Amino acid sequence: MNPQERHYNINKLNVIFAASSVLLLAALVWLFVDDYSRGWKDYQKEFRALEIQKTRLKHSQTLSKLQAQEEYQSLGKVLEAARKDFAANCNSKELGKETAQQGAENDLLNQDYKFTKAGYDAARYRYESAAAHHPEDAGRAKEEFDRLDKKIQELRLAVERSNQAMKDREERSKACGAKLKELERKERVLAKDSRILETKLAKIDPHQMNLANRMADVVRDSPIIDFANPNYKIEQIVLADMREDLNFIDVPRVERCVTCHLGITNPDYKDSPQPFTTHPDLELFLGNESPHPLEEFGCTVCHGGRGRGTDFTSAAHTPSSEKQGEGWKEKYNWHELTHWDRPMSSRPYIQSGCFKCHSGQMVIPGAEKLNLGINLIEKAGCYNCHFIEQYKNWPKPGPDLTKLASKISKEWAYRWIDNPHAFRPDTWMPAFFNQSNTSDPQSVRRNQQEIHAIVHYLFNQGGEFALERMPSAGDPKRGEEIAASVGCLGCHQVTPPEEDQPTTRTLLRRLHGPNLSGIGNKTSSEWIYSWLKDPPQYHPETRMPNLRLSDGEAADVAAYLSGLKNSVYENVSVPALDEKVIDEVVLTFLSKSGTLQQAQAKLLSMSLDEKLDFSGLRLIRHYGCFSCHNIKGFEKDKPIGTELTFEGSKTPHQLDFGFIPIDHSAPAWFAQKLRDPRIFDKGRVKPHDEKLRMPNFKFTDEEVEAIVTVVLGLVKDGPPSKIVPRTMRNLFLEEGQKMVRLYNCQGCHILEAEGGAIQPTVKEWLIRYENRSANEAEAVVPSFSPPNLVGEGKKVQPKWLFDFVHEPVTIRPWLKVRMPRYKFTTTQLNTLVKYFSAQDNQEFPFAEKTDTALSREERQAAEKLFSKDYFDCAKCHIIGDKLPEGSPENWAPNFALAKERLKPQWVMDWIKNPQELLPGTKMPAYFDPTSLDTSGPDDILNGDEHEQIRVLRNYLMTLTDSYGTPVADAPASLPQTPASASF
Amino acid sequence: MESIKHFINIISAPYVMFPLILAVFFFIFPPTDRLLAIHKKLRLYKLWTNGGGIALFSSLIIIFAFGLTDSNFRRIVTKPDNVPIAGLIFLVVFFLWWSMKQAWENDERMAQGQGPREAEDAKEKVLVWPDLVYIELIALILCTVLLIVWSIFLKAPLEEPANPTVSPNPSKAPWYFLGLQEMLVYFDPWIAGVLFPTVIIIGMMAIPFLDTNEKGCGYYSFRERKMAVSIFMFFWLVLWVFLILVGTFLRGPNWNFFGPFEPWDISKLEALTNVNLSEIIYMIWLKQRLPQNIFLREIWGFLLIFFYFGAAPLLLAKTFLKNLYARLGSLRYSLFTFLLLMAVSLPIKMILRWVFNIKYIVAIPEFFFNI
Repeated sequence: MNPQERHYNINKLNVIFAASSVLLLAALVWLFVDDYSRGWKDYQKEFRALEIQKTRLKHSQTLSKLQAQEEYQSLGKVLEAARKDFAANCNSKELGKETAQQGAENDLLNQDYKFTKAGYDAARYRYESAAAHHPEDAGRAKEEFDRLDKKIQELRLAVERSNQAMKDREERSKACGAKLKELERKERVLAKDSRILETKLAKIDPHQMNLANRMADVVRDSPIIDFANPNYKIEQIVLADMREDLNFIDVPRVERCVTCHLGITNPDYKDSPQPFTTHPDLELFLGNESPHPLEEFGCTVCHGGRGRGTDFTSAAHTPSSEKQGEGWKEKYNWHELTHWDRPMSSRPYIQSGCFKCHSGQMVIPGAEKLNLGINLIEKAGCYNCHFIEQYKNWPKPGPDLTKLASKISKEWAYRWIDNPHAFRPDTWMPAFFNQSNTSDPQSVRRNQQEIHAIVHYLFNQGGEFALERMPSAGDPKRGEEIAASVGCLGCHQVTPPEEDQPTTRTLLRRLHGPNLSGIGNKTSSEWIYSWLKDPPQYHPETRMPNLRLSDGEAADVAAYLSGLKNSVYENVSVPALDEKVIDEVVLTFLSKSGTLQQAQAKLLSMSLDEKLDFSGLRLIRHYGCFSCHNIKGFEKDKPIGTELTFEGSKTPHQLDFGFIPIDHSAPAWFAQKLRDPRIFDKGRVKPHDEKLRMPNFKFTDEEVEAIVTVVLGLVKDGPPSKIVPRTMRNLFLEEGQKMVRLYNCQGCHILEAEGGAIQPTVKEWLIRYENRSANEAEAVVPSFSPPNLVGEGKKVQPKWLFDFVHEPVTIRPWLKVRMPRYKFTTTQLNTLVKYFSAQDNQEFPFAEKTDTALSREERQAAEKLFSKDYFDCAKCHIIGDKLPEGSPENWAPNFALAKERLKPQWVMDWIKNPQELLPGTKMPAYFDPTSLDTSGPDDILNGDEHEQIRVLRNYLMTLTDSYGTPVADAPASLPQTPASASF
Repeated sequence: MESIKHFINIISAPYVMFPLILAVFFFIFPPTDRLLAIHKKLRLYKLWTNGGGIALFSSLIIIFAFGLTDSNFRRIVTKPDNVPIAGLIFLVVFFLWWSMKQAWENDERMAQGQGPREAEDAKEKVLVWPDLVYIELIALILCTVLLIVWSIFLKAPLEEPANPTVSPNPSKAPWYFLGLQEMLVYFDPWIAGVLFPTVIIIGMMAIPFLDTNEKGCGYYSFRERKMAVSIFMFFWLVLWVFLILVGTFLRGPNWNFFGPFEPWDISKLEALTNVNLSEIIYMIWLKQRLPQNIFLREIWGFLLIFFYFGAAPLLLAKTFLKNLYARLGSLRYSLFTFLLLMAVSLPIKMILRWVFNIKYIVAIPEFFFNI
C-alpha cells in the first residue's frame, strides 16, 4: 500500500500503539497486584512466623525436658541395644536372603495353582458341553479334565504346605522382634508431645520441609492458582442460626474476624501483639468449654461490627477514644465506616453486647459495668419517664406526695425542688431547674414562679396524715445506738456522702433509702415517729419496711434523727410570688388549648389561687413529676419521655446533635445527654415551654458510662436462638431477683455471693457499743450480721419461709439487727419462695416426704451424740428458751425451730459437711467428709456414721421449746411441706 | 480566604448564578447580528483561541485547587459517585472550546473567501483500515487503562443495606437525571417527570425537520448558524449540564441548596413562602377571598397559558420572528415556537419563583393538576 494514502503516520501510530499496550499491560499487572495483596495476608504471614517461632521454642523445650528425663535416657540405651540385637538375630543378611527366596518360590507356586485352576474350570466346561452336544468328542474332553483334576489335587497340597512354611517363618521373625516393638511403643508414648510439635513444624516451617513440600508451599499461594488450597486464605465461621437482618432478607452471620485475629482462642498468644492476642477471658468466651464457644456465637453478636469485613476499616472497628482514633488513622489508614449501622462497640461500652441476650436478667455475672448501669437505671428511675419493656410495672422510686403538707414546709419544698443536690448531694431526685438551657435571667425568673406554682399544687392536694403523739421526747443517744444496730444502715446513710467515692453496687445498696443526714431540718420528730411506726400509713407503696420498733424505741430513733441537722437551706431565700410571671405561665398553657383571646379572657377571670393551682397542675404534667411520685390528679397520665426499649438500635441520624461539636455517634450522644441533659438546646432559640426538660441527675463519668452501656444494649436484633431461655426456673429467678433488688435484701443478706452491704456498719457498731477492738470486730462481724442466705432454698421448708417473711420470728436472739416486717402480698411472698427454690434447683412446691421416726434405741443413741460427751450441740445452739453458755458470737440458731424450719435432707448434709454448704461457718465438722466411714464415734450404733447422722437429724426434728422435758417415745413422722397447697 | 469562600457560596446559589449566566450567555454565544457585534467588540471570541483555552482551563484548575483546600468541597468532590461529574466539567469545557475554536477559525476563513478547513480534508482519501480502526483500537486500549486505574483508586461506593424505613437524605437521582430532578423544584411531577422528558425527545427528533438551514453541514461554523448553535448551547449547557452540576454538588440534605464551601447541615431550614398565581391575583392584588369555583379561581392561569402558547406565537410571527415565520412556513413555525416556548418555560418559571415566589400558574390540587 502506498504510505502516502494514509492519513496518519503509521510509524507514529505504531509507537503510540506499543506504548499504550505496554501501559495496558502495566495496568493489568497493577490490577493483579492490587487484587492479590490484601492486608489480612500480611497478618497471616506475620502470624505464621510467630507460630513457627513459638512452636520451635516449645518443641526445643519439650525435647530438652524429654531428654533430661532419666526414664527416657535409659529407654534410649535399652532401645539401641534391642535394635542391634534385632538386626543381628532376627534380621541378618542371610536370613533376609533366605526369606526372599522362599517368598519367591511360594509366589510362583501360588500362581501356578491359580492358572491350573483356571484351566481346570475351562476343561470342565468343555467336557460338559461336549457330553451334551457332541457325544463323540466327550471322551477326549474327559481325559483332559481328569488329567487336570489330578494335577490340581497335587498342586493344592504343595501350596498349602508352602503357605504354612511362610507363615511359620513370619511368626518366628515377629516373636524375635516383639521386644523391640514394645520398647518402641514406650518411646513413642514418652515422646508424644514432642512428636506432635515436630509434625506441626513439618507442616508450617519451611526449614523443616523437604524440597518438594517447600516448593509446593510457595506455589500454592501464587496468584491465580491460589484458589485451590492456599496457606493464606480468609477464615470464616458461618452461624446459620444467627441471622443478620438486611431489611429485605436475612442472611446467616458470617464472621471473618478470625482471618486476622488468629490467636484469639489459643492461650499461647496471651502476650502477642494485636491482632494475634488471645481473648482476655477464654473461660467465659470462645473456649470450647465456655458458655459462649466461638463456633456457636462468633464475634459480632457481642462486639458488633461487620463480620464480613476483612480489613481494619471494613470490619467497622470503633476506637475507644479520639486519641486512639487518631492513632488508627496513622497506623491503619482507618476511617469510620459510616454506612454500617451497627459498628463495633468501643471498649468502654463493650458489655452492652451481653444485654442483647441477657436482657431479662437482673444480674449478669461477669458484666460488672452493665450490672452497675442496670442498678443505676433502677435507682434513678429512668423507666418512669422513658418506657422500657424490661421495667414494665416497676414501682415509682420517689415518695408519695399526696400528704406532703404533714411532712415538710412550703419553703423547704421550694428550696428542694429548686436545688435538691445542695441539701443532699447523693439524692436521686434530679435537678429540673437552673440548668444549662434555663440559666438566663428571664428563665430563672420564670422558673422561680413555676416552682411556687408546683409547691402550691402539691400542698393543696388535701391528703391527710395524722401524726401520732410520741410517748416521750425520746433519748437521742439511745436512738443513735438503735439506729446503728437494728438495721437502718443497711439502706440509709446518716452522714453526708464522702466526695469522690467510686460508685459501686455495694455502695448503691447502702444508698437504697435516702441519706438521712439533715433530716432534722426537713421534717419534725413527730412525723419521723409516725413514719417509723407504720410507713405504709403515709406512703402505701413504700418499700420501707417496719422494723418492729417499740413505741419507746421509735421515739428514741425519732429524737436521734431529728437531731441530724443540715443548715444549707437556711441561707437560701425564697423569692416572692410574682403574679405577673405566673400569668405568663398560665397563659402559655391556656393558649395551647384555645385561642389567645380566650386564654386571656380566662386568665382575667382567675384568682391567684386558681392560677397557681392551674399552672401547678400543668407544670407537674410538663416536667413529669408524677412519673416518680404519687400526686393526686395524675393517676392516668402516661410517661412523658421517649421509649427506650430499642434505644440502642438508633442510628446517629435519628438523634439531634444540635450545634454540639461531639462525635456523631450514638454512644457519644447518650453520654453527652446524661452528662448535661439540656446541652442540645445550646445555641437554639426556643420558647420556654419547648425547651428540653430532662432533669439533671448529676451522674459522674463512670455512672454515665455504665448507663450508656445498658442503653446501647437495648436493641431489637438480639439473636433469638441465643437469648437466655424463658424457662420456669429462669423466670422464677428473674422475678425473685427483681424483688431482691426492689427491697434491697442484699443490703443486709448475702445472696448469690453478693450483698451484705450492712457489714461495715455492724463492725462499727461492735467497736463503738460493744467495746471490741478493730481486729476483733472484723473477725466476728459475720456472726453479728444478718445471715448469709446461700443455699437457703435447700435449707428451709417453703412453708416456713413463706410464714417467716410474712411475720418474722427471732431465730438468732444474739443478733441486734432485725429482720423487718414487709407488707408483702401473697404473690410477692410466693415469688420469694420460688426464687429460693429455683436457686438451689429444689423441687417446688412439692418435696419428698421423709420419715423422721425414732425407735427407743435410736433415740438413746441420738441423745448420746447430742450430749456433752460427744458433739455437745447445746454448747452453741439455743434450744427454746435455753441459751448456751459462752459469748454470743459463738451462739447458733434455735433447735426448737428445726422441725418447722429445716429440710430433713439438708440437716443431714449439714451435719456431714457444714463447710461445703456454708464456707466459713463456725459449725464444727464432726465427721470427715473425705473418709466418712471412719470419722464418727465407734461406740454408737456400731460405728455406722450414716445411721448416726440420720438418728441425730431425727432427734433434732423432735426438739421443742420445752427442751429437757421427756418426749413421747415415738413421735409421729412429720409431714414435710405440709401446706404447699396454701400458696 | 473565608470571605472569598463566603462570596462564592453566595454567588453559586441558583437565584444568583442563573441570572448571571443568563446575562452573560448570549454575549458569548450571540444568536443575532447585533449581539455578535457586541461579542466582537468585547473580544469574547478570544476564548476560542489557544490562549483562551489555556485561560479557561487554568481558571478551572485554579478554582478546583482552591476548592480542594476546603474540607467540605473536598468531601463532596472526591466522593466516588461525584468524581465522574467533576471530570464532566473538564470534558465539557474542553470539547466546547475545541469545537468553538474550529468553528471560529472556519468562520474567519470563510470571511476571507476561503472554504472551511474541513473542505480541504474532504479531498483526502482516508482508509478505514488502518487509519480509523487503528486509532479506535488505541483509544479503546487507553480507555481500558483509564478505567482499570480508576477502579484501583476508587472503590465501589457501596452503602448500608437498603432499608425501606430509612430513605437517604438527600435522595438523589442518577447523575444524568439530576437535571430533571432539579426541574421538580419548579414544576409539578407530571410536568417535570413526564411531559418535559417526552417533549425533549420529540423536540430533538424534530430538529432535522425544523432546521432548514443547509449551511454548516460537515464542518464547524458558528456565524452561519448563530441562532441554532446559541439555542442548543443554552439548553445543553445551562438547562442540562449546569442543572446536573447544581444537583450533584450543591443540593444537600432535604434538597436544600448549599454553597460549595458550606457544610451539609441536616437541620438547615428555609422558609417556604411560595404562592400560586391565583392567590397573588385574588388575595394580594384584588384583596378578595379565593373564589369557590375552581375554574373561576384558576381562570387567570389558564388565560396566561393560553396567551403563552396560543397568542404569543402569533404576535411574535408579526413582530420579532417575522423573518423566521417567512422562512419556515406556518406549520414548521408553530411547531418550532411551541417547542421553544415549552423549553423557555423552565427558566421563566425559575425566575418567577425567585422574583414573585410563584409556586404554580394553575393550581388545582383537587385534581392533582398543577402547572
